[in-house]
Amino acid sequence: MAEMQKIKLMSSDSAEITVDRDVAERSVLIKNMMEDIGEQAMTEAIPIPNVSSQYLVKPLQETNLPPQVNEAVLNKVIEWCVHHKGDPPATNDDDADSRKKTTDIEEWDQKFMQVDQEMLFEIILAANYLDIKALLDVGCKTVANMIKGKSPEEIRKTFNIQNDFTPEEEDQIRRENEWAEDR
Amino acid sequence: MSAFRRVNVTGGVSRQSILAPLRETQIVSSKPVLPAEILSNILDYLPVPGQLRFARVSKRMREMVYDDTRWVQRLQLMGCWDENEARKRTEAARQKRSETLQIMRQENTKRAGIGVNGTASGINGSETPSVTIFDATGDVAGQDEETNDASLKAAPTGEDGFDAIDISPKGRPAAFIPPESASPIDVFTRVFSLRGFARQEYSKVYGALAPFYFDAIRCENHTYATVFRTYRDPSQQARMLSNISKFSNSDISEGWQKRKEKFDALVNAFEMAVSKEFEQALDAGDVAGKMRKYAHVLVYLNGGHSGVELFISRSSIIGSRYRLGNALDCLNQNGPGSFSAEESYSFFSNVSTAFNEQVGVIDQVFPTSVNAIVPFVQRVGKAVISDYLTTLYDEAHRTNTESYLRAVSTTCDQCLEMARSLRSTSASGDDFYETVDDVIASIFEPHIDFYLKEELEFFKKRSNAEVNNWERQLSEQDASMQSMFMSNVNRQSDKRDFLTSFKKVVMMPVNVLPTFPMSSPFGGKPATAKALVNGEALATTEISGSQTSTRPSSPGVINGTTLSVNRPATPLPEPPTTELAAKAAIMNSRLEGIRSLFSIEVALNLVHTAKSSIERAAVFVKVGGHFGSDARLQCEFVFISLLQTLGTRHIKAGFDQAVDHLSKYEPKEINEKQRSGVTPLVTFLELVNVGDLIQQMLDVFYEQELVATKLSDRNDFLNPAAKEKKRFEQMLDERVAAGLNKGIEVLMAEVEYLYATSQKPQDFNPGPASGGDPDITDIGPSQTAIQVVETVSSHTKMLVGSTDKNMLDVFNQEVGMRLFTALCKHLKRQRISVNGSIKLIRCKIPHHTFLRNRSTDPPYLSDMNLYFTYIETLKNQDLLQFFKALRELSQIYLVDPSDAKELATIIADGDRFQGIFRAEEVYQFAQRRADWYQIRSKVERAMYGIGCMVM
Repeated sequence: MAEMQKIKLMSSDSAEITVDRDVAERSVLIKNMMEDIGEQAMTEAIPIPNVSSQYLVKPLQETNLPPQVNEAVLNKVIEWCVHHKGDPPATNDDDADSRKKTTDIEEWDQKFMQVDQEMLFEIILAANYLDIKALLDVGCKTVANMIKGKSPEEIRKTFNIQNDFTPEEEDQIRRENEWAEDR
Repeated sequence: MSAFRRVNVTGGVSRQSILAPLRETQIVSSKPVLPAEILSNILDYLPVPGQLRFARVSKRMREMVYDDTRWVQRLQLMGCWDENEARKRTEAARQKRSETLQIMRQENTKRAGIGVNGTASGINGSETPSVTIFDATGDVAGQDEETNDASLKAAPTGEDGFDAIDISPKGRPAAFIPPESASPIDVFTRVFSLRGFARQEYSKVYGALAPFYFDAIRCENHTYATVFRTYRDPSQQARMLSNISKFSNSDISEGWQKRKEKFDALVNAFEMAVSKEFEQALDAGDVAGKMRKYAHVLVYLNGGHSGVELFISRSSIIGSRYRLGNALDCLNQNGPGSFSAEESYSFFSNVSTAFNEQVGVIDQVFPTSVNAIVPFVQRVGKAVISDYLTTLYDEAHRTNTESYLRAVSTTCDQCLEMARSLRSTSASGDDFYETVDDVIASIFEPHIDFYLKEELEFFKKRSNAEVNNWERQLSEQDASMQSMFMSNVNRQSDKRDFLTSFKKVVMMPVNVLPTFPMSSPFGGKPATAKALVNGEALATTEISGSQTSTRPSSPGVINGTTLSVNRPATPLPEPPTTELAAKAAIMNSRLEGIRSLFSIEVALNLVHTAKSSIERAAVFVKVGGHFGSDARLQCEFVFISLLQTLGTRHIKAGFDQAVDHLSKYEPKEINEKQRSGVTPLVTFLELVNVGDLIQQMLDVFYEQELVATKLSDRNDFLNPAAKEKKRFEQMLDERVAAGLNKGIEVLMAEVEYLYATSQKPQDFNPGPASGGDPDITDIGPSQTAIQVVETVSSHTKMLVGSTDKNMLDVFNQEVGMRLFTALCKHLKRQRISVNGSIKLIRCKIPHHTFLRNRSTDPPYLSDMNLYFTYIETLKNQDLLQFFKALRELSQIYLVDPSDAKELATIIADGDRFQGIFRAEEVYQFAQRRADWYQIRSKVERAMYGIGCMVM
């Protein structure tokens, strides 16, 4: 490997971005794709597809459609990949110790995630689609921190979820779980 | 992804078509909404209150949050989820399914009402609403079904049907504990593994412990933490801290590491304080009071390891270990290079006593749930015993190899014995002694390999030195080598006698180790055994004493005796080997004549050395594990090297030399005086005897030392020791066979020589002087015949009982045949008259005629008869045939010269000689008649005449 191989990626808005191969291969999706199609990927831009995600949470299955990755998001993701290209590869046994994955967010990542909520979600979706587990985890942690102290109503707003409880139902759930509230 | 793959795999599709579908996808919307699996992922990172708030967002979210696996995971983290228990409960629930819904509802209500800590169900409208079981879904339509389901799950907690399958006492339903009496201290006893209710179960723990936990973390000063203010008693505090620590394991939201750290610091501070109290109590010697109290506190807190550790490190046995015994005292007590087993023994008994004392304290101080004794044993082993032994071994090895070997083996044995004398605590289970054995194994681990190597080396060196020394002596004596004919010794019984005593000695341990006169279990038995051994030793010493004094000329015996007596530092002054030495002395005195080629003494000494080596090494077999098999292997090696030294170096050389002597033997060169036997052959045959003895000795040794003690497996034909033993026996047989071969030749040379030199022509042909009136008093076997028979028989007899029966038969047959040929040849050289033939022959058939014809004098012994009787003793049918024929043949000399016709008949009668002699041969013999020339024409005429008639 005399020279680092380059790969071209194409965002949903048709912007071509050239990255080192090992950076791009932080994404398991791209890595597998490289293995499958080989040299062809070297010369031609790989489109990072994009599909509307105008879904409510309701149709769970349909949300599996690829999210949209535009240039800005793709750049952001690549930035993360470049910074983390030296990390050891993610272990496959994600359930080995559930405590291990809840390590604190690195300082660099914290700064990296200081973006508006829309961008944050885009990054998470892109990471999910591209199968970059570490980035997805960081994103999820950031969101978790964001909503940690929020009320249900605030959470609904954040995630764009509609309340389908009657007030009585909601109250019952609150009472059920009073034990967890700080006393 | 799969679409990409498929396209690619089918292959041959243009590159465009691969990426084309991706390009064609269209942007539909840009408003990002996170899919459910990502939300679920996010939930994982939320702390518990956050998660439950999330449940209130929407039904789907609630479903996600209430998902049982999420809570089971937390229970698992705290170590209070039992998959088996959960499965059993589910099964029981399924059984309950058949009961009526009415009963279900009742039970369900009951459970919902009191089953959950400090709450009542919202359904039956109690005043403390918290947890209901109708929480799986809020769907009104599904409510009935859910209720049904939930009640099914709840059913097993009812009194009937559930108790029967409940195995753990912990599993008693919490439903019956009134909520207000529920203390956070024993919260974990109220948590069950209930499928579908993991969240509720978790809520019990969380509700009880989370406030203390978060408070403890928030607290800057440890002493102000609520947990310490709520509970005043140290043991309660400890239990709370232990609970909270357990609970903190289920804290998996972000930042748990920092929280854990903080909490651990608090626990540590508490532990430190308690430890300090414990230490003070320890110093004050307040065993039953404060020490016990704080030990329990430490145990509640975290299993009490720090308390045990503290106790052990402050324990008197560790602190004052130098007072238990000084390793160097064991050495040089009885002169330089000696090793004293008593010293090490007293060390071990000191350790044992001190240990048992401490065990008593441990029993008092620590609760039974703590196994303090295992670390204690390990520590004692490492700090006290191992230290002691290492010093001892290093020093011993530096000064004297043998005392090193003895030290290692003896101490190992003593150590094992000590292990049996240790008292275990009530808390330690059955595996206490296993632990002790492990500890001992680890103590000896660094020494064992080296020791075994040294042992083998030592043995090799020793045995080689022994053989060399003997060989040197031999070469000094070589000039004056003289062999005495060994006569009248009943070899077989002697040998049996010798072997019995050998067996006896082998069975007795050479290094009788001092037994532990512990006041406890094994007091009396070994002592009496010792007395017995002593008595026998005394009795046998007398024998050896008288033996050696009567036979001062056998220095080897004295050596043998002193070797065993002087074995340094053997606790018994007179090991029972003396009996063997005595027997060896007797044996040796009888075998003195042949000491020169190889000696039974040397063999005995070697066997002794091997025995002590093996016995020392065998101690380690008891240690077990791979040391055991190593030691076993080493024992086999010692045996093999014994066989090699004894076999190839000693016996083989001896045999070779004997055979060499044999082949050089020249009957003519020996003067008449020594003609009592063929000296080298005698020597050789004696060697065969001794060789056989040694072989049997080794066999006994092998059986007793290696097979009986399970060091070696006789039936394993691949076993190196068994293989080597076979080879040794083969070698012995081979040498014996080769020697016998040579021996027969030498023997025959001797016989021929005798014939040639001592047979006078007059013997068989007294001449005309005595004419028709043979001198009856002179009748009897000739001197030559007597000599020949004596020579042959004395040599063949020596082999009886010393070699294999088959070999003996073969040997006898060969000797007989050769004798037969020699005799025939001899006869054909003689000239025999009728009178002379009386001397030569005395046949059975003509016996009566003789008696009638001649006189009634005592039976005439003739040469032929002499041979025949001798051959009869060999009990060999084939040989007997030959000699019978020979005897018959002799008749031709008896026939009166006038009766040519009868002579001719005899000559022609082939049947008479059972086909052994052909007519021509008989004719040849007939030619040796003194009067042959006178009767020849008549006989021939008669012969051929008869021949014609027959034809």
